[in-house]
Amino acid sequence: MRKFWIVLKYELRDYLNSKGFVAMTLLLAIAGAVLLFLPRFVDMSGFTGVQIVGNGSQPEDMEEEQKTVFGYVDLTESGILQEEFLQQVPGIEWKRVDSREELELSVKAGYDAGFVVTGPTEYEYYVFNKSMSDSNTVLFNGLLQQLYRIDYCARNGLDVNEITEMYNVPITVNEQILNKDTGSNYWYCYVLVIVVFMLITLYGQMIAVSVTNEKSNRAIEVLVTSTTPNSLLFGKVIAGALGSLAQVGIILGATLLSYQVNREQWGGALDMFLHVPGEVLVAFAFFGLGGYLFYAFLYGALGALVSKTEDISKSISGLMTVIMVVYFFSLIQLSNVDGPVIKVLSYLPVSSYSTMFARIAMGTVAPWEPVVSFLILAASIFGAGVLGAKIYRMGTLRYGNPIKIGTALKDLKKSE
Amino acid sequence: MKLDVKEIRKSFGEKEVLHGVSFSVESGKALGLLGRNGAGKTTTIRILMDVFHADSGEILIDGKKFVPAKFQIGYLPEERGLYPKRTVIDQMVYLANLRGLNVKAARESAKKWLARLEVSEYETRKLETLSKGNQQKVQLAATLVANPDIVILDEPFSGLDPVNSQILKDVVSELITDGKLVIFSSHQMSYVEEFCDNIAIINQGEVVLDGRLKEIKKEYGRDRLVLAAANYEQGQLAAKLEKEFGDFVTVSGRKKEFLVLSLAEGHTGREVLKRLAESDIEVERFGSYEPSLNDIFVAKVGEEEEHA
Repeated sequence: MRKFWIVLKYELRDYLNSKGFVAMTLLLAIAGAVLLFLPRFVDMSGFTGVQIVGNGSQPEDMEEEQKTVFGYVDLTESGILQEEFLQQVPGIEWKRVDSREELELSVKAGYDAGFVVTGPTEYEYYVFNKSMSDSNTVLFNGLLQQLYRIDYCARNGLDVNEITEMYNVPITVNEQILNKDTGSNYWYCYVLVIVVFMLITLYGQMIAVSVTNEKSNRAIEVLVTSTTPNSLLFGKVIAGALGSLAQVGIILGATLLSYQVNREQWGGALDMFLHVPGEVLVAFAFFGLGGYLFYAFLYGALGALVSKTEDISKSISGLMTVIMVVYFFSLIQLSNVDGPVIKVLSYLPVSSYSTMFARIAMGTVAPWEPVVSFLILAASIFGAGVLGAKIYRMGTLRYGNPIKIGTALKDLKKSE
Repeated sequence: MKLDVKEIRKSFGEKEVLHGVSFSVESGKALGLLGRNGAGKTTTIRILMDVFHADSGEILIDGKKFVPAKFQIGYLPEERGLYPKRTVIDQMVYLANLRGLNVKAARESAKKWLARLEVSEYETRKLETLSKGNQQKVQLAATLVANPDIVILDEPFSGLDPVNSQILKDVVSELITDGKLVIFSSHQMSYVEEFCDNIAIINQGEVVLDGRLKEIKKEYGRDRLVLAAANYEQGQLAAKLEKEFGDFVTVSGRKKEFLVLSLAEGHTGREVLKRLAESDIEVERFGSYEPSLNDIFVAKVGEEEEHA
């Protein structure tokens, strides 16, 4: 046990003394915090819907600069486009031009878009580069529909305001969610599944590389004669877990805390990502870390099967496939958290790290279910650790061609 | 302290690589473990260090089962290995710490050995920034940092210049004088001859020759003589001896400065000397032949491979 602690301390110090590791942690934590403090200093009311006190009015010329410029040509006989009506649309400056050709030139010269209205319900749309999120036609459709209604009502002696009110009668809803609000929990679950996935693949590979490096620089020759393979592998994996936990904890902590402090300024706009309930964070910590440990032992063992770092990708490809399949299944199943597939996945050690906490966050889970799932995961971590250490012991001093996992397991079976 | 390795057998997969290896070594004496590449030396050492388990056989220390964890063992592997990107002192303290020393004692011991091997100035440098020779000395310092009772040195002199070799020779001599149990594996036979009282030659997984080096040399030199003449070239002398002394001796080898002669059965060196005195050969050198370890190694391993 003493040797395990020595290995753990040494490996952990390696992470904490790494300038890259520390710089990356601080940089991401500060970047997250700075970003989330922005609404206190910069007007983001367009996104947050919250106006900063004392910063409510902006110089007119600034507003002018930010306006979208649309050109239009009205070719209808009655002249359906009413300029006063158009100018009421906020954030858009409308410029009448005389012909298609002039409009086309104006759009090429810098107008954001242009419309040639050829009939009460028909128009041509001109744009220079159409972006993926271009919704100008949706806006113009709405405007044209309203103008049509105004024109129709005028022609038929109807009160347009009365009809509009009748169509848009407000409904009051008083929502009583008795268990989970899947809609608002979905996105942070999505983010947390990605975080665990990145944690496992990134740090798992770091552990595999660290094991292979010790093999390729032959430090393992001296290490295996100074301590046991169990101390080496467990020390290395748990140091990696603590290092990654520290890094992710600091980044995630800084981000969540900064959001909590500035939630009012954000108007709750990021609640779906960053307002994570405590119980979900606890479940995430247990299952995320458990899943990470489970895979980290396997990564360590696979790292011992190759002698060169460039062979690692070959060695871990099978494990990566499992992780990727689990990842995609988890994401797909987030929209059906009470379905049978995710229920099964939430008990398997290869997938419970993401599926069980997703069920806790969004589904219906009996109190015993997370306990049983975690016990299965804990037993599997122990099993992966023991198996990993055996493969590690067998693989560390076998140089040359990469050893296939099947061959390694067969050799282990023979030696027992 | 006496270490006895008895009838060790080991297979990897279907292939048996050690076929009953046995040898002994005592404190204050060094054993030269010799063999060609792939002969089984490193596997034997790894079994000794409990890295591999033997399929059969036993290792005893003073007659009792040898448990490596109960002893301080310093191992210098043939394939040198430390952490290239970490500082010298950092990894030495780590290794000493793993071998049972507390941090303070580990640091003191590391500094002592770095000073003894004249590499103190590099203690805060990353290992990869040192020359090959200095890395080698750091590796030896790391081997000895926990004051081991048993020292296993696999090719300790490879890559060292004459000055560094001398420093290392002095250290090895001190270890032997201090009563350490030293196992010394090398292809550089001159070093083995210098340090080792006993040798064990392993060939294709079995010990083909072992015992006290002096006795082995004596045995290999028995009934063999050396002869050099002032008035004959080696070739002429060999031809003359074959022709005129054929009933007494045969020429069994040629060295740079003399011929090696094997006495025919029933004859003695004195008779040969008497005949030489009666001939026109001006004897420049005559005496009993003492083979070098290299000769013994080549002869023994060659002979074994011929029989195989």
